[in-house]
Formats: sequence, C-alpha cells, structure tokens
Amino acid sequence: MLPIVLLSILGLVVLFLGFQKSKNLLLPATLLVLAIVLVANFLHWNDMPSLYFKNMLFENKFTMAFSGIVIFSAFLIVALTRGFVDDESAQPAEYYTLMLFSLVGAVMMIGFENLIMLFVGIEILSVSMFILTGSDKKNLRSNEAALKYFLMGAFATGIMLFGMALLYGATGSFNLTAIKGYVMANNAPSAMLYVGLLMLLIGMLFKVSAAPFHFWTPDVYDGAPTIFTTYMSTIVKTAGFAAIYRLLSGSFSGIYSFWWMTLAVITVLTLLAGNITAVYQTSFKRMMAYSSISHAGYLLLSLTALTNQSQSAIVFYSLAYSIATISAFGVLMLVAKETGVHSYENAERFEAFNGLGKKNPLLAFVLTVSMLSLAGIPLTAGFWGKFFVFSSAADRGLTWMLVIAILMSTVGIYYYFKAIIAAYMREGELSAIKVSPFYRLILIATTIITLVFGLMPDFLKGLV
Amino acid sequence: MFPLATPSIPDVVQSIPLQNYVLLATTLFIIGIVGVLTRRNALIIFMSIELMLNAVNLLLIAFSTYKSDPVGQVFVFFIMAVAAAEVAVGLAIIVMIYRNTRTIDIGFLNKLKW
Amino acid sequence: MIPHLLSFLTFHPLVGSVVIALLPNSQKEAFKWIAVFFCACQVVVSAVVYYFFSTQTADFQMVEKADWITLSMGSLGTVSIDFILGVDGISLPLIMLSSVVMMVGVFSSFSIAKREKAYYSLYLLLTTSIMGCFLALDFFLFFLFFEFMLLPMYFLIGLWGGPRREYASIKFFLYTLVGSLLILIVMIGLYISVIDPYESELAKTMVHTFDLRLMTDGRNYLPDSILTPSGEITLLGVPSRMLAFWLLFIGFAIKLPIVPLHTWLPDAHVEAPTPVSVVLAGVLLKIGGYGLLRIAYPIFPDAAAEYAFTLAILGVISIVYGGFNALAQNDLKKMIAYSSVSHMGFVVLGIASLTAEGLNGAVYQMVSHGILSSLLFLLVGVLYDRTHNRLIDNYRGLISYMPLYTIITGITFFASLGLPGFSGFIGELFTLMGGFQSDRLPVWLTALGTLGIILAAAYFLWTFQRMFFGKPWAKNPTELPFLSDLNRLEKWMLIPLVLMSFALGIFPGWLFSLSDKTVSHLLKIFE
Repeated sequence: MLPIVLLSILGLVVLFLGFQKSKNLLLPATLLVLAIVLVANFLHWNDMPSLYFKNMLFENKFTMAFSGIVIFSAFLIVALTRGFVDDESAQPAEYYTLMLFSLVGAVMMIGFENLIMLFVGIEILSVSMFILTGSDKKNLRSNEAALKYFLMGAFATGIMLFGMALLYGATGSFNLTAIKGYVMANNAPSAMLYVGLLMLLIGMLFKVSAAPFHFWTPDVYDGAPTIFTTYMSTIVKTAGFAAIYRLLSGSFSGIYSFWWMTLAVITVLTLLAGNITAVYQTSFKRMMAYSSISHAGYLLLSLTALTNQSQSAIVFYSLAYSIATISAFGVLMLVAKETGVHSYENAERFEAFNGLGKKNPLLAFVLTVSMLSLAGIPLTAGFWGKFFVFSSAADRGLTWMLVIAILMSTVGIYYYFKAIIAAYMREGELSAIKVSPFYRLILIATTIITLVFGLMPDFLKGLV
Repeated sequence: MFPLATPSIPDVVQSIPLQNYVLLATTLFIIGIVGVLTRRNALIIFMSIELMLNAVNLLLIAFSTYKSDPVGQVFVFFIMAVAAAEVAVGLAIIVMIYRNTRTIDIGFLNKLKW
Repeated sequence: MIPHLLSFLTFHPLVGSVVIALLPNSQKEAFKWIAVFFCACQVVVSAVVYYFFSTQTADFQMVEKADWITLSMGSLGTVSIDFILGVDGISLPLIMLSSVVMMVGVFSSFSIAKREKAYYSLYLLLTTSIMGCFLALDFFLFFLFFEFMLLPMYFLIGLWGGPRREYASIKFFLYTLVGSLLILIVMIGLYISVIDPYESELAKTMVHTFDLRLMTDGRNYLPDSILTPSGEITLLGVPSRMLAFWLLFIGFAIKLPIVPLHTWLPDAHVEAPTPVSVVLAGVLLKIGGYGLLRIAYPIFPDAAAEYAFTLAILGVISIVYGGFNALAQNDLKKMIAYSSVSHMGFVVLGIASLTAEGLNGAVYQMVSHGILSSLLFLLVGVLYDRTHNRLIDNYRGLISYMPLYTIITGITFFASLGLPGFSGFIGELFTLMGGFQSDRLPVWLTALGTLGIILAAAYFLWTFQRMFFGKPWAKNPTELPFLSDLNRLEKWMLIPLVLMSFALGIFPGWLFSLSDKTVSHLLKIFE
C-alpha cells in the first residue's frame, strides 16, 4: 500500500513546490514522484496476497498490475503536459497535485476490499477530475464539460451509494469477503440484494461510460482540455474496470446466473452505441470519446464472461488501450496546436491530420500504430487485447455476443482508418511540427511498447 | 430523583418498522432522481443530488441500527465528508460558469451537443 | 539442405523494406534496384527450394519450428503459438508463382513516379507477407500474415491508385477484413478444441496449439470441445463444425473471390496501379484458394464432403456470372477482373469435386491464372501508359500501330480462353474432368461450368476484334506517335510470362508431379 502513502505525501510536496517562482521544476518533480511510486508499487510483487488497513484494502498481483498500469499511464500523460508552460493562466502545481491525488483514488478503487474504500476512491478520483476538466476557466466548452461531468458524476455516485446501502441492508456488511460469504450461504438472494447490486453496477458503469449511461462521455471528453481527456479516458476507465472486476469476482461470482444477462445486454448496447455513433463523428476527439465507449464494451465482454482468464485479459486490454490512446492524443495535441493557428474549427477534427504523413512522418507513424492497435490489427498490442477478451467470451460460450463484438470491431476499423486516411491520403498545409526531444521520446516509447506487446504478448500475460 | 425513563436511541429508531425507513428513503431518493432529470437550474439539480445522498444516509442509519452494526453509521460520516468536498468543487464550477455566462440554467450550455 | 531456407525466403524482403525506408528520399534510382535485387533474390531462393524439394513424399518439407508465444490461460491450460514454416506440393507451385509475379511487378513498378520510397518499401513488405502466408504451418502465423497483407495492399491501392482510390481501397480492406475476422472466430474455436498431445504430456497440462498439422488429426481434439469431430455440438441450431467450415469458406471466398462476395475486386482492380493489379490478380487471389486447400478442407473434411455440391454450385455460379459480366464490360480492367472471377470459379469447382484430377487441376489453374492474369494486367498497363484510357470502345485498329503488342495480346487472350497448348487449357480441362468424375456432383452442374469456356472465348475474341482490328484512326501510323510499340522493358516483362504459360501448357506433368503426392494424401481423408 506504499503507493497510496507515497502519492499522498509527495503530492503535497509537489503542491508546495508551486510556491517557487520558477515553474520549471514541477514537471521533473512530478515525473520523479511517479517513477518512485511505480517502483514502490512493485516492491511487494512476489509477496502473498494480503490485506491492509484493517481489512480495508487488498493487494495481490492483479491489483499491483492494475495500479502499475494506472501509474505508468499517468507518468506518460504527465510527460506529455510539457509543464503547462504555454498557458499563462494555468496553475501547474495544482494540476500536478490533483493528478497525483486522483491516482490515490484510482489505486484505492483497484484494491478496495470494503465498499467504503470503493466509494472514497471513486470520489477522490472524480472530484479531482471535475476540477481538471474545468481547468480551462475562460473556455465555455471546458466550463460546460466540467458542469456536466460534475452533475452526472454526483448523480451516479448517488445511485451507487443507494445500491451500497441496499447491499448493506441485505448482507449486513460492506466487506467483499463477507458479502461473498452471505451470497454463498443464501442460494436465493433477496430482491434487496439484487436491486442493490444492480444500482451499484449502474453507478459504476456510469463512471466507465457504458451504454445506456454513456451520454455524458462525448461532451465531457470533447470539452475538457485534451490532456485531461487523455487522463480521463485511460486512468479513470482502467481503475473503474478494475473495481467492477474486483466487485463481481470478489463477491458475486457465486450468483453469476443472476446478473450476467443484465451485464450482457449492457455490453451489447455499449458495443453498438460506441461503434456505430463513432462512425458519424467529424471530430477526432469526439470519435476518440466514442471509441472509448466501444472499448468499454470489449472490456465488459470479458467481465460478462468472468472466466479465470478474464483477469489477465482485462489487464492486458487496459494496458494496450491506455498506451494507444495516450499516443493518439499525444499526436492530436501537437497537431491541434499547429492547425489551430490556421483555423480553430478544424483543430480537433480529422482534417487536422491532413498531410501529416508528408511533413511529419514520425508523428504519422505513431498515429498509425496507435490507430491500428485500437482497431485491433495483428502485430499490435490491441490485437492481443481483443484476442484474450474474445477467447474468454468463447470459453464461457457467449457465441452471439462474440459475433456482435467481432462485427463491431470491423466497424471500428472503419473509423480508426479515417485518421490514417487523413494522415496519408489527403493533402494539407500542415508544416513540419517541432517536437521537443522528450515529447518525441515518449511518443516513440508508446509506439514501441505497442509493437513489442503485439509481437510478444506472453511477456506481459505470463506475469499476472 | 427522576427515574431515567428515556429509552435508548436504538429503541426509538426501532419502534418504527424497517420497511417504513426503506420506503421513506426510496421516496426521497426518487424525488431526488426526478429533480435531477427535470430541473434546469444547476443549483436545484445540485440540491436534488444532495437529497439523494441524504436518502442514502437515512437508509444506512436505519439498517445500521436494526443490525446493531456501527459500520453503516461510519459510512454515513464518510458520505457526509465526501459530499461536503463535492459541494465545494461543484459550487466552484457553478460560480465559474456564472462568471462567464451570467446564468446557471443548464439549457444555455449548448456549446457541446448532448 | 540449407538451414532456415524458408525463413530466409520469407523475411529477406523485409530487410529490403527496412533498408529502403532508411535511405534518404533523394535516392530514387536506388529504391528501384534494391527492390529488384530482393525480388530477384526471392526468385533464386524459391528455385533453391524447388531444387531441394522431393516429389516422393506428401509430408511437409524443410520444416522449421521455433517456440514463439506461450500463454498460460488459466483453466484452458496453455496456449502455444509456434513459428512453423514448411513447404509441400500445394504451396511450392504457388511460392514459385508468387516470386515470379512479384519480380515482374517490380519491373512494372518503374512507371511509378511519386513517393517511390514508400512504394517500394510497402511492396517488399507485401512480398514478405505473401510468402509467409504460403509457408506458415501454424494457423496463427498464417492469420498474422494473412491479415498483415492487407495493410501494404491498402496503402498501395489507396496512395497510388486512380481517382476513386479511397473508396476502392477501403472497400477492399473492409471486405477482406470481414473475411479474416470470420477466420479469426474459427481460429479461436480451433485452438480451444485442439491440444498438442506430445507437449501436453511433457508439460502435464493441456497445451493448446495452433499447429495446422495437428488440427487435421481428429484424435487431437478434446472430447467435449466446440469443434470436436464427433460433431454433436451445435451452435445456433447448426452443428458447430459445419458452421466453422462455412465461416472459413466465406473468409477465403471473399479473397478468392466467389460471387456474391466479389464486388470489391473490380473496384480494386480499376483503381489500382498496374503493378498492384498484377500482384492482386496474380498472387493475392490465390491465397483464398490456398487457404481452402490448406486449412478449410483438411481440418473440416466432414463438412467439405457434405457441402461439396453447394460449393460446386457457388463455383459454377462464379464461372458463369463472371463470364457474362466480363462480356458486358467496356472498361478493359473490369473485363479482366470479371474474367478473373470466372477463372477462379474453376478453382472452386475443382476443389469441390474432391477428386485427384479436380484438386490437381485447381492448383494448376491457380498457377496458370496467376501467370495469365498478370500478363493481361500488364498488357492493359502498357496501353494505359500510352493513352491513359482503358475503354474498349475508344480503340480500334491497334494492329497497325503496335504489331508486336497485338501479337502478344493475341497469344495471351487465346491462352486465357483455353486454347490447347497453353496453361489455361490444362487447368480448366482438369478441373472440369474432376467435376465430371466426382460422384458427389451431378453431371449437369459441371456441364454448366463448361459454359465458362465458351463465354471466355466470346468476350476475349470480341474484345480483341474490337480493339485491334477495324479501321485505324489515322492512315499513317506516324500521326499517332504516342502509340509506340513495346519498349525493351515491356518485352522483358511480357515475353517470359508468355513462354511460361506456353511451357506449362506443353509440359503440364511437371507441375502435376509436384502437387500429386500431396493431393492424393489430402484425398485419403475423404475416403
């Protein structure tokens, strides 16, 4: 549980660094903190699974792997912030601190053993994200996104809490193991348990933007500053799925037949809504928002199957998805800044990439690899993510869902390719973009990780 | 002196059947949900959400008392504390919007398509 | 015997691709010659493979096996994906064909005049994935090459194609991708069902495998798995093995292409630049037929036997429909594209017949069509380079301007329509013979297939007559100077291919001797 402690303390240190005149120290300091936490996270890798803080938090390889993904993604995203030096009204120290604090929430969500911790974790993560979404204070779009995110987030929290209260009423405990004991002992769960579980799930599915609770996602992702959109679409989502997995496998695997149909319907809706709406988007950023919904669908597919492969499948999928998303948004941020000079309208649309391949072959290549990975083309990490998810579904015998998922991944290829088409096949007046060496290094690193995991998935899969 | 005839709080709480608490909490919760879905003023939506949270608190206390288990009441403290933090951030966001647009009607927020 | 010969054959163009990508943009001449070098190298290496190949055995030869990915999948046991390459009588002819076609394609690429670096780099990448497809003996490896082939092809059509290239390339991509996803479903089902008995013994756990050789043996299937050969398990009301076979068949039929899944082909051909058309028709279509022979048939012989009639009908429909459509086209490339559909229909008919003649004929027809369709597209390219026009109506009396071109086109057309003495005749003859001999197919069906030859004669001869005979535009050929006859490079591309088709037509036994053992081994499953 070192990461939680370290992130809290070092987050405060970063906040106080903000008192200094020079803001140049903040970025390296934050990166250093994240690197330390990443190492600390894996210190106990070979230990037995154990409980911490009076049975409030749980730690095993799965939670460590997920915390690792979350912290590593945060590292990459922070590295792409370039210190917020371009924006005069920005408050970098506060942003970095909030990012570090939000990670505390994410790690708590991943390792919760008690529903109280789940609630506290979700709230820490969400409240930080509300602020970061609205960080572009003068921009009405950012304001609006923050308000929508806040209202929807608080609403979802309310539903989730009601579900927790009902679960408590039914089982008499907030502890996952105790709830599991209750569920195992009572073959026919009460209506209260069922409604409670359902509302808890709905609340959490809100957070990971599964259909039909996804409607806030495109607006919020579109309106938020791109860097925080990246943060939301990777870290919040990863932590949310880890939490749902912990909840379902930790307490409710005994009554699988009880909830799987509900989750199956939600999965199919999510896959359809995410992929089909994404086809019609003209804005790349909005397309990425819908694509994040569709990826939520694939992850849900693995959760619906809930075989013992699901665990490693969602670890792998989350990592592949996070890395690819970070590189795609990394390229978008560079290109949008360049295009924004000519036309504000086009800055985040597909047209922004026009002519990228000619003038910026590296950026175009990074974008292509990330799109291919998101689309699930072989030799990229995304393919293996889909492969593991699909085989867990096949293992459970969810044939019809598998067919829908595979069809939808074809649809996905269509809209991911729009970006590739724009980059290579359209003419544009994009000039050569200056990329700082460090930024370039991060983009190359994400691309290489995607390709290496595409070539040797057993490297990671064997670990968890 | 006077005999200490005041019954203990759990006894008072338990003098009403559990179902009634559940019904009351559910009613409050549904009022909250309806408020969120129908109102257009950000502050009132916000109040409806608070209503939802308080319905949960009531429910938790009732369950906690009936089960003689303190954990439920501990959870209520968590909810209250976190809700306070959330209120702070939420109001800050609303104030920010008010500064920029001079309104808190969510109908005016249409820069992004829903 | 040279170790790692097949790996070398597969991966050395990749080196070329990387080299070209790393060179500076200004080295335009170098790109061409590097590509020529690596393709020539491939021709040589495939000749070496032929030299070491023994026609006496039906087994896979020069097999290379290396562990690649081992994944622990919880209750499923372990999944092992191996790197296995090998060659047998079905893949060898296709390897030689594709190395030759890729070589010719490079020469034809000399006319490409923009973004040469990317072009040659992608071209060599495509070469690698095609070779890998023909050589892979691990289903996963095959799938990887199969899917990866799409990317260079997509860019080759999409970046260097004609005016509607974007539409054509994405259509090509999506069609083939749907096919490969269907194959992916079957692949997942198969790996869940099949275990490697030796490895499982060693590892004391179930080792699931993608090895195609193990998948053909019913004893390696887990008793209660989805695709167990007892065939009791049904999905959506259909026996799962039948369903799996059809998914595989559709996946490969899109590539082949079979009517009604062919509509991407004319678009792709019309928009693609000449060398890409050559590769598409000459090699890529064969991967569909190869997939049927290598994967669908040996793994699901029960389904293949049961649906022989249906498959043959689809083949005959392709033959006839393609023929009629070719007759109706005015665009030369579209006409050839539809003739490809028609000719590939013979392949399906031959495979569906499940006779030695039919299967050997199918392999033969694939090679023959590879040569002839390459020739046809090259010939169109020659004309298009001069006039930038592909409409048949716009030409007449070409014989007066381009006599040599007319002669070669005439020979090619006659070879394609099945004139005895050329390869096309043998391929069609044997597939039809297979159809007639097969006790699974009624005689009338195959008889209907012969209609394809008549249609081919009609559209080729009619086109020839319209374009080359008749009154020339101008009395004096010098008035149209751009209609010059073949230059030296074009002669070097065209004449060897014509000779090859001729040689194969005269000595068909050479090719049959390569494939015969493998085919008869394959047919043993069906008895």
